[in-house]
Formats: sequence, C-alpha cells, structure tokens
Amino acid sequence: MKVLTLLAPRLWALRNGFVFGGRRSLTKTGSLFIMAVGFWVVIYAIFYRVLSYFQAVEDFGDLLAYKLLSMVFLTFFGLLIFSNVLVALNTFFLSQDLGTIHATPVSIGELFTARFLETLLESSWMVLLFGVPVLTAYGLVYEASALYYLGLVSVMIPYLILAAAVGIMLTMLFVQIFPAQRTRDILLLLSILVTILLFFLFRFTRPERLVDPNAFSNVITYFRALSTPASPYLPSSWACEAVWPLLKSSTTSSSFYQGFLWMTAMASVVVSAFVAFLIYPEGWSKSQETRRLVVGRFISEGQRPRKGHRSQILALMGKDLKFFFRDNTQWSQLLLIFALIVLYLYNYSVLPLEMARMPTFYLQNLIAFLNVGLAGFVLASIGVRFVFTAISGEGFSFWIMQSAPLTIRRLLWSKFFFYLVPLLVLGLILTIASNELLHVDPLMRWLAPLTIFAMVFGVTALGIGMGAAFPNFKAENLTQVATGFGGLLYMILAMGFIALVIVLEAGPIYTLFMAQVHHHALSHLQWLYIGGSFLLAVLVNAAAIWLPMRYGIRKLAAYEQ
Amino acid sequence: MIRLEELTKRFQQVIAVNDVSLKVAAGEIYGFLGPNGAGKTTTIKMLAGIMRPTSGRILIDGLDLEKHPIEVKQRVGFIPDRPFLYEKLTGLEFMSFMANLYGLNGKGRDKRIQQFLELFELAEWGRELVGSYSHGMKQRLIMSAALLHEPRVFVVDEPLVGLDPKGARLIKRIFSKLKDSSLTVFMSTHTLEIAEELCDRIGIIHKGKLIAEGSYAELQQMAGQEDPRLESIFLHLTGAEAFSTEEIGFIREQN
Repeated sequence: MKVLTLLAPRLWALRNGFVFGGRRSLTKTGSLFIMAVGFWVVIYAIFYRVLSYFQAVEDFGDLLAYKLLSMVFLTFFGLLIFSNVLVALNTFFLSQDLGTIHATPVSIGELFTARFLETLLESSWMVLLFGVPVLTAYGLVYEASALYYLGLVSVMIPYLILAAAVGIMLTMLFVQIFPAQRTRDILLLLSILVTILLFFLFRFTRPERLVDPNAFSNVITYFRALSTPASPYLPSSWACEAVWPLLKSSTTSSSFYQGFLWMTAMASVVVSAFVAFLIYPEGWSKSQETRRLVVGRFISEGQRPRKGHRSQILALMGKDLKFFFRDNTQWSQLLLIFALIVLYLYNYSVLPLEMARMPTFYLQNLIAFLNVGLAGFVLASIGVRFVFTAISGEGFSFWIMQSAPLTIRRLLWSKFFFYLVPLLVLGLILTIASNELLHVDPLMRWLAPLTIFAMVFGVTALGIGMGAAFPNFKAENLTQVATGFGGLLYMILAMGFIALVIVLEAGPIYTLFMAQVHHHALSHLQWLYIGGSFLLAVLVNAAAIWLPMRYGIRKLAAYEQ
Repeated sequence: MIRLEELTKRFQQVIAVNDVSLKVAAGEIYGFLGPNGAGKTTTIKMLAGIMRPTSGRILIDGLDLEKHPIEVKQRVGFIPDRPFLYEKLTGLEFMSFMANLYGLNGKGRDKRIQQFLELFELAEWGRELVGSYSHGMKQRLIMSAALLHEPRVFVVDEPLVGLDPKGARLIKRIFSKLKDSSLTVFMSTHTLEIAEELCDRIGIIHKGKLIAEGSYAELQQMAGQEDPRLESIFLHLTGAEAFSTEEIGFIREQN
C-alpha cells in the first residue's frame, strides 16, 4: 500500500500538469505528441524500407535482417542500462523528496519497490518509443501473425525489468565508491568519451566503401563475419532469439528464450532487492555528505574593479565563463564539439568527388555552398544547447539580475557577445577548413565564410532572444530547457532563417559562378538581381538579430518569478 | 525615503496586494508583518523591482521605481527570503561580482569585501564554492553582498530564516548599527520578537490590505488588548486568535 503512496506524487504531478497547466501546457503536450508521431513515422519508414530491401536480397537478406534485429536489441540494452543508472542515481540518491521520505516510517523494501518501478518507467519509455516502430516494421515486412506482437510484449517486459535491475545494482555499487554527485559527473564524462570513440571507430572504418563495387571482395568477407553468432550470455541475444522465430510463425525455440528472459528478470529483481537491503542505507547516507571544494587562487581571484557599463558586462561574462568551466555537464560537451569538427572535416577529406558524373569543379563549389547550410545547422544545434539555455541557466538566482541596477537589455547583449565569439570561431573553422579540403573557387572561398560570419550573429541573437522569451528558471538541468517548447521553436526559426539566407544567395551565386565559368560579362539586370538578393540576405540577417533580441528583452523584462 | 502609493498587485483573479499606501522616513526601521499569504513577499518583490505592480507607485528617495529602475536599484540593497545564489562561484567571487554589478570601484573595494566577509564570519570560506555553504552561510553572504554598495534603503524579506542564534544576534546588532547610520530598512518578518525589538514602526498586512500601522505603542492602543505583547496584538488584528486547549485536544486523541 505504501508503495502506491510513494508513487502517487509523481502521478499527481503529471495529472496536475494537465489540469492546472492551462492552454500553454496543452499546446506543449500537443506539439510534443506531434513530434513523437513524426519521429515514429520516420523511424518506421526507414526500417520498413531497409527490411523490404533486405528481403529482396537473395541468400543474405534474412541474415542481414536477423543481424540488424540483434544489433537493435543490443543497442537497446546498452541504452537501457545507461539510462537506468542515470535515473536510479536520481530516484535513489539525489531526488529532493528523499530526505522527507527517509524520515517517515517507510521500510527499505517499500522504498526500493516504489523507486524500482519509477526507475523502470522513467528509463524505459524512450526505448519503447524507438522500439515500437522498428519492431512493427519487422512484423509488417515479414507478415507476422498476432502471435509475434503478443510475443513482443512477453519479451519486452522482462527485458526492460532485467535492464532496470542491472542498472539499479550498478548504481548502488557506484555510490559505494564515489559520492552520488561525482558518480553522475563521471558517468556523464565516460558516456561522452565512449560516444566519441564509437563515432570515430565507425567513421574511420569508412562504411561507404561497402557500396563500392570495386571493394566487393571485402563485402563477402564482411558477410562471412556477419554469420557468426552473437554472445549467448547477452540478454539481447536471448531477446533476439525469442523474437526471430515468431516472425517466421514458429514458437518452439521462442518459448524457451522467453522463459529464460522471465526467469532471469525475476531473479535479477530479487538479487537487486537483496543488494539494496545490504548497501542502500549506507550509500544514501554517503550521498548526503557535502563535498568541500576549495578553488585555487588562480581562478578565484576577484574581478578587477572597472568603471561604468563595462564593469557590469565584464562581470557578467566573467561569471558565465567560470560557470561554464566549473560545470561538468557544460564543459564536457566541448569534447563532443571537438569530435564533431574532426568528423565533419574528415568527411570532406574522403569525399569521392572524382567518382561523380558531374564536373569536379562544379561539384566542389556546389558542395561548398551547401556546406554553408550544413555548418549553419551545426551552429543552430549547438546554439539550442548553449545559447538558448543561457538565460535559463541563471536559474533561481535570476533575482540577483532583477534586483541589480542592470537593464535586461544589457544582460541579454552581454550574453549575446559571450556566445557570439566561440560560435564565430567554430563557424569559420567549419567553412574555411572544408573549403580548403574541397579546393573551391576563390568566389566561394570568400563568400562561404562571409555568409557564415553574418549568419552566426542571427543564430546567436535568435538563441538569446528566444531563450529570454521562453525562460525556465526552475529546470533541474539545461538539457531539459533545450528540449522544451521554446527550444523547439528556436530550432524551427533558426532553420527557417538559415534556409532563407541560403535560398536568397543561391540564385546570385549561380549567376556569378556561371558567368565566371563561361567567361562572359554580367548584364546590368543581372547585377541588379545579384545586388538585390544580397541586400535582402543582409536585411534578413539584420532582422534575425534585431527582432528576437527585442522580443526577448520585452518578454524577460515582464517576467515575474 | 520609501513611499508606496495605492500599490496593487493582481494575479488573474487574486488580488495579492490591495491598494497599499505607506511612508517610511529616512533612518527608520519599518517592520512589515502579516500572516502567510497576506501579501508581504509580493510587496517586498515590487519594492525590490523584481515584480511590477498592477497599479500604484513606488517612490524611493523621491524617484519613481517604474520610471527610474536603475537609479532606484542602485540605492537599494535587497535580501530575498530564500538564499538562491550562484553555486559555482566562490564567496569571494560572488562578492566581487556583486561589487562590479553595482559599479563599486575604487581602491577600497577589495578591502571592503574582506571586511564584510570577516564581519559575517565567512572570511575563511571565501575561496570555497557557494554550493558547499549551509543555508545560514548563504543568508549571511547575501546580506554582506547587499550592504556592499552602501545602499540607502535596505529591503529584507525574513532576515532571520535559517540563522543560528549567533547569526541572528549578529543580524540584530547590524540592524541597530544601520539605524544609527540613518539607513532606511523595510523588512518583513514572522519573528515578532525582532520586530518588537528593532522596528520604529510596524505595518500589518492582511489579505493584501494594510490593516494597521504605527509604532509599537500605537498598535497596542489600537488593539486594546490586555496582553501587551506584539504576538497578541498581531493575532487580534489579523483575526487569528490562538487556538484554545480544547480545540487542539484532538491531536492526541487517536493515540
């Protein structure tokens, strides 16, 4: 009974979000639902297409589909374990309500059961969202019977329980070694490093060579490697072995693996409960110990006195800089950005332009132009994570800004310039270096960095402005802010802005480029068209700076906590 | 020094502050009392420039807060009821940041920061992250930061929340000192003892309306209570008399 009581606050909070959230909450939920459906449809379409293609491949088709399924289950298991560890750290150790709950007469068993269920639900829904379209695509391509879908339910439940139990046990063991807060930081860093490593490993194997007929002998070797079985000790293999026969309407071996999954899942729950009884109280007590962190003199040196407005702007920027490098969730993402730059440029260095049917010089410049859009997209994606969240990052301390003799305008512009410089550097690296690798025409060599230079101002202003218009000072972490309604709106606007600039520049660049190629002079009308289009692009850039900043300043000035 | 004119704050259907007008003279300590949800924090937030009134005016040192927000904020030191601070800055960095935010410069700046940290017994914690401070330490750090720029008006929401007896005594002594240096203090508090001890005048707000105002003696007269304690006057004026023994008897009945 107490387990239900312990779960009730989460359910009530969810319900209250709908009941008291009003129209804005409904709009948000509606938008997220539409996004989820869109995402679902895209995943489904991709898998349906790939599986249909596999089916058409003689001999290897089934093998490929089977391997893909096994990879899907393995990926899910990895994701589930990781997400369960992160969620369990929160539900078992860091959640704010734990202090109150531990002071009430709730037994470890009751608390464990409630938090186990909470962890299970919170960490599994994302995998289910990914999994349903993938597994439905399998069912439809293989024209599976209803037994397949029933079997899926019977496989997924123990699979999710097993991952949750393992994740929770790992968390409890981690907290024995490190304090809870450090464990989260270490895991975060590890996850980033592993992601980067996987990215590099995958990219540097150059999978595009698989579609190169000249390397066909390698493909045969690759397929031979595919036919070797996956590890029989992995739960993902059991899940795959349980699902695969159902696609072929055979239940014999499926039942065995289903039974195996259920038994292991139940056993893992018992073992994790036992582990909890043994070490959870001690781990919880440890997680309450505060860490004293003395900052060395070299960074704790106070900001020097400066006069007037400069003093405020430098104070704000200095504070933001310290925040960035002292927050592990922030600076660690620089590693990801660095990996992104390396991969981005590597892709251009191995681009097989000579294999294309179009003239190389034409293709080089076309790609260089499209690269401006791609670089813009990369900047907008980084913008939503860092720039859009800049205002919300003030958190509950925003009262300091509100009560200080500081205008919202100055606050927003200081944030703007703080983020503008690194984004400019990144944008210019992406365009200049890729242009060098592509050996582009002098016209593109100048135009692409200039366009990106101008665009970064708009992307930054959009981030700061929209972030100020849709602040979330109560968010527990900034990722939550970036993935919210405002973040989505920012991405849509930023993409629209980038697309508009690209469209406005495409025509004139083509005209200039063709005139250069064919060595003919441009007419007055063509010059007028080129000038007009570039002027429009400049105006769009100016509007992208001015309008969102003005909107953000107005909305944030009216904000009341 | 402080003048509120027909100040009203409405949140959709709820009127949190209803037509409040009051004056606080320079060098006066004004206690703002009221039950929970009476409108104290809303009034304080409007006074600190964090919230905008629906109607009415706030004048500080003769300046309208709506028209001259920066000049007014430069004259005010504000302490909120909950000490939310930048957890990733050290105490020293926070003080330095606040000094720059308020345009405090000159030779004596660093010395002044150090003096405040010492006064509030935070000097040895100056190089540690604010995130590792206790509630009381954060409260003391905010107080030192709010006094750093030599404000003319001090707006405080619940000055003693989370402070240990030593911290509370220190705050009382500082308030007395501030009074001597003709700084105007506007504070809301539930600690009636501090209001009784320090305040020159007390205003009582109830359901958004200022229902009584005056010196301690004037309030005593107004309430006409036999019991001269502020607690009794407060309960009488807000219509929340203490429960009788019979009324709270049920608490132990179940056992």
